[in-house]
Amino acid sequence: MTTLQIEMATAAAILLIIIIASIVRSRLSIRNSIAWLLLPIAFIVIAIFPGPLQSFANWLGFEQLSNFIFLVIIALLILICFFLTVSNSKQQDQITKLNQEISILKHRKDK
Amino acid sequence: MKKKVLLIIPAHNEEASIEKTISSIKNYDYVIINDGSTDKTEQILKDNNFSHVNLSFNLGIGGAVQTGYKYALENNYDIAVQFDADGQHDADSIETLIQPIVNGETNFTIGSRFIKKNSTNFKSSFLRRIGIRLISNVIFIFSRTRIYDTTSGFRAADRDVITYFAEHYPKEYPEPVSDYELIKLGFKVTEIPVKMHEREAGKSSIHTWKSAYYVINVLLSLFVIKLRRIKK
Repeated sequence: MTTLQIEMATAAAILLIIIIASIVRSRLSIRNSIAWLLLPIAFIVIAIFPGPLQSFANWLGFEQLSNFIFLVIIALLILICFFLTVSNSKQQDQITKLNQEISILKHRKDK
Repeated sequence: MKKKVLLIIPAHNEEASIEKTISSIKNYDYVIINDGSTDKTEQILKDNNFSHVNLSFNLGIGGAVQTGYKYALENNYDIAVQFDADGQHDADSIETLIQPIVNGETNFTIGSRFIKKNSTNFKSSFLRRIGIRLISNVIFIFSRTRIYDTTSGFRAADRDVITYFAEHYPKEYPEPVSDYELIKLGFKVTEIPVKMHEREAGKSSIHTWKSAYYVINVLLSLFVIKLRRIKK
């Protein structure tokens, strides 16, 4: 195993531990954790067995495996960002509705 | 049968004008939506025993007005009128504005500054008029219906529109967007010439340097509504 592989596997393992700790402490709901668990596990597998992914990257036309990995990670980050914005918009709507309903309820109670 | 009419008065930091505005209203029920004001608005509302609802935090004009529609629906009002707290709208024109709804001729009326030139002493900036014109043209292209004063916030809704707005009301740029939305849904929307005053105090939510940004956002919103499948 090259140094780079060991570094990548170690970094991914640390990320995995942070994620599991967050789930255990209920800071991250299990429902939202699947994608975050799969990511470091995939990194560890790639770090230990880069061969198949190397061939796949070459087949797609990438000369360097690292370029391919960068591209995939950036694409993933953009996707995650997008879905976070979607969920944020939904929550804003829900909070607005709560604010409106609470204010009307309070008004009714005070009358 | 006499129709129950409610004035919805959104107020965000309107300490300077709210008392005068409320005292100009006679013969109508009203509810002030205090939209997270940080000045003395809330104290004034309490001291004068004005009917009001306090939002927990600022929602912006769309969220505040929608609160009024929810209130109107819950309290079984037949007609809801949006009325500004800053003294821009003329209380004597409310009768004119709601008459077509009372007569059952239309679902929604818009108090217009432009439809008859001599009915108004309101002057709008040149840029603002161009923006309003552009929005009016796009609504016309999309719906084949001409609305002149697309940004007017002086509007009246019948029971069906109240029910719809209580659930669906645009958060941003609500006036032109909801005008078009109602037309698309098949509601009858009528523009009525009314008097409008220069605002007593406070600022318009549309500033000159933000005009272009405002118009672009409204056009985008209209386009989205055009694409969206909506039903009553």
